[in-house]
Amino acid sequence: MAINLRTTQAETREQRLGTITQWEGRAADLARDSAFTYGCGRDCGSGGRRLCELSSPYSQASMCAEQIAVTNATIIKDTVVIQHAPIGCASSQSSTSRYSRDLAARRGWKPEDPKSICTNLGEQDMVFGGVERLADTIRQAFERHRPRVIFVATSCATGIIGDDVDGTARELEDELGIPIVPMHCEGFKSRHWSSGWDVIEHGILRRLVPNRPTEKRDDLLNVIHLGGPDVFSPLVNPLGLQVNLVMGGNSLERLADLSIATATVTMCFVLSYLATGLEQQYGVPEIRAPLPYGLDATDNWLRDIARVTKREPLVEAVIAAERARIAPELARLRTALKGKKGFVAAGAAFAHGLIANLRELGVEIEDAFSYHHDPSTDSGDPQQDSLGHLVEASGDIENFTVSPDQHFQAHAALKRANPDFVVCRHSGTMAILAGRLGIPVLPIFYSNDGLGYEGLITVGRGILRVLPRRRFYEDVAAHSRFPYQKWWLEETNPYALEPENVA
Amino acid sequence: MNFQSRVDDADSGNFAAPSGPIEQVRYACALGALASVIAIEGAIPITHCGPGCATKQFQALSSISGYQGGEFHVPSTNIGNKEVIFGGADRLDELITSTLRVMEAELYVVQSGCVPGLVGDDVANLVNGYQRRGVPIVFAETLGYKGNNYTGHETIVRAILDQYVAKQAGPLPQTRKGLVNVWAALPYQNPFWRGDLTEIRRVLEGIGLEVNILFGPASRGLEEWRAVPSAQLNIVLSPWLGLSVARRLEAVYNQPVLHVPAIPIGARATGAFLRQVGEAVGVETADVEAFIAREERDYYRYLRDFAHFYAGCTSQYRLPSEINVVADSAYALAIAKFFVGDLGLNPGVIVITENPPENERDSIRAAFRNLAPDIDGDPVFEADGYRARDLIVRKPRVGEFPILFGSTWEAATADEIGAPLVEISYPATDEVVIVRSYVGYRGALQLLERTYTTVVRQSTEENPEAAAL
Repeated sequence: MAINLRTTQAETREQRLGTITQWEGRAADLARDSAFTYGCGRDCGSGGRRLCELSSPYSQASMCAEQIAVTNATIIKDTVVIQHAPIGCASSQSSTSRYSRDLAARRGWKPEDPKSICTNLGEQDMVFGGVERLADTIRQAFERHRPRVIFVATSCATGIIGDDVDGTARELEDELGIPIVPMHCEGFKSRHWSSGWDVIEHGILRRLVPNRPTEKRDDLLNVIHLGGPDVFSPLVNPLGLQVNLVMGGNSLERLADLSIATATVTMCFVLSYLATGLEQQYGVPEIRAPLPYGLDATDNWLRDIARVTKREPLVEAVIAAERARIAPELARLRTALKGKKGFVAAGAAFAHGLIANLRELGVEIEDAFSYHHDPSTDSGDPQQDSLGHLVEASGDIENFTVSPDQHFQAHAALKRANPDFVVCRHSGTMAILAGRLGIPVLPIFYSNDGLGYEGLITVGRGILRVLPRRRFYEDVAAHSRFPYQKWWLEETNPYALEPENVA
Repeated sequence: MNFQSRVDDADSGNFAAPSGPIEQVRYACALGALASVIAIEGAIPITHCGPGCATKQFQALSSISGYQGGEFHVPSTNIGNKEVIFGGADRLDELITSTLRVMEAELYVVQSGCVPGLVGDDVANLVNGYQRRGVPIVFAETLGYKGNNYTGHETIVRAILDQYVAKQAGPLPQTRKGLVNVWAALPYQNPFWRGDLTEIRRVLEGIGLEVNILFGPASRGLEEWRAVPSAQLNIVLSPWLGLSVARRLEAVYNQPVLHVPAIPIGARATGAFLRQVGEAVGVETADVEAFIAREERDYYRYLRDFAHFYAGCTSQYRLPSEINVVADSAYALAIAKFFVGDLGLNPGVIVITENPPENERDSIRAAFRNLAPDIDGDPVFEADGYRARDLIVRKPRVGEFPILFGSTWEAATADEIGAPLVEISYPATDEVVIVRSYVGYRGALQLLERTYTTVVRQSTEENPEAAAL
């Protein structure tokens, strides 16, 4: 199904991909029940409807799409992000700013606070509407910082009261002469926060990627990533490719170059909306090979890049050199990690990648936790069925839990798995939970850490660094407890609250 | 018992979102008061709001500011399309029932956010049903557009006092001689609240009092809350926060209020505070003086040795002469008093960030008079960081070495005026805080340590030529 760029609103993941957030069972069953394996290829419509989603009467505070959209807009340079919201939505500013400064340090940029402003809506605005405040804030944002682009993020409150954000943005755009990009990201509209990626990528596609058909560059490779150090250039520079690294902090120039590149790779299919959109709008092909986690997958990923960018003669030498380079250290890590039992918690394709990594390192994975599940991707290409590939390449995962970062369910899943260590993303719930249960944990803040050949080394070393911390975590675990009822503290089925729903 | 009024929030009606946008946000919304619930051992918030609301508030207040941690696995309805369209009361009902099955707590505090406020869910009625069945549960309407976490804090405190404390079975509580309630420090918002409340408790116990400190590791949790009506005195240690609570308690339980706007920092202020409290409660003067003497003996020994640095390194490290503060009124006042009154700095720009209710602002201004004899501070109320920066940068300075006490947001401002920055207010994302305190006797010494370590480092790292003089 084509991405609809005619409207300012991105369709949610549930609508486009059949995304679910609650499921429990064997990974092979989840892969089988997802759309890809029913022979659905391109144009078969959104998949996943066959998946039987679970539900839970109990739930804990989760995360919203607005946070993802706003964070990733905020870290784009020379912009101002306006949160059209009551003040609480903007309380994320401090963590976004900390993230931005940290990112700047790792990318060699000048660390400075990104610019974000809240319209700071009050009760009066709920009654009379907040568009005047929005117009005033947009003007002030322009006066204060002379940005080149202004993003305007909606909130639950403005969605419900029905403020005409698009109309206000258009008016002020005419007045100020810079793009004003609305991001429709009301938290209640999607059940999963990752829809926020689609929202910001939708805005970028519609407004910040000019069509430059005469300027095509056959040496420029778009890389869409979640954020972090550039681990890509060392991989593809030897192929004669330059990296155009976008999302996870970049300049507007990087975005403007998206349409002239020779191909696009996505570091996590959760972010593939932009890649699919670029192919659809500008004919920039999307590399669809399974993500580069583990040796074979990385080989094949590089080969696919070489094929699409017509650099095949160069690629085997690069692969051989990289494999040889890491071989001694990989052998050391495999020896050190042999027989260890790991547990992975991350979002969909990213989780599948980390599992592949750990298995390549010789770690046993029988339990995993995914924050959501996309039965399909926007391209509809079965090559992007990362879970299916994982099961096929390295075997099933017996206990595969899909849960939107629910602490109580993660508690049960970890009790059941009793791993030697946890590797996770979104440190807020899972990392703290693991630590408090006495389990060493490696939270992956910068998601590029696990990628490619070097990613195996980075993750392997990271695990070895945290394993001795068991001494600390066990001490804390022995002297504290979570305020669950005794029966839940002992429960090992994350979906035990509604056993009748478990297939 | 006549303490029945429910969520009428007479005082939080004072809150109005300041006009104009806010950059560099310095507080959470009213729902953020869930941090205050988490700060009470044995209490759990149940949040009826959008999927990211509760997490955002707590992440901002705790995870990133001071990396304080805290038990955050908060039940939430994570409102979706369905609840917006059809109403969310049924979903909340289901959540409360399942919370009671899964979680273990002595008290549940249901908090509503923006969405139920806008779609009109009747949360009070729903919670009422549980209360009638004897469930220890209260309702606090903490709509995000109706207040910030300061007013939200007062709302949850009143909800607990009205709907839980006042409803305890048994005879009317008898006043316990020597028991005091302390209303100070907004949990998590002030990154040093845990250590500060511990020190306040310690000095009050030092003069022989029993203390309901109510929040944090130094508190005995809900046992203290249930004893609130038995206290002899309510001590409000803040320019305004907690005053409305204390006034209500005065009206209902006939408990007198001792309002001390400035949290005491240092021996002078702490001694004066203890004498005031001692007099109000009727503690033997000799007991008060004996404790003060013991504390001052220690304090001034340390201060004597610190004086070597303060005198000897004056020019080497360009010791600051002018204090600038960007903080909420409570810490801005306490810290300004200490550095102006005790250390001999001149007051610079003082920006108060929490948007206090209009009707409290005159008394806040008044509290900044006489920071030292005949030296007044002139605070400005400004919640927007962009304007706060402007005020500080544009102040003319002749011959002064400024120091800035503020939040992480002030880093760029501090650079601009060449001042060392000591993070004392929210958000403090470059501080890891566990038990450090900046108030009382011991906290004052820690504040000096942190302040002058920062001064020395800034002086040597960023001004090599000055350090070489």
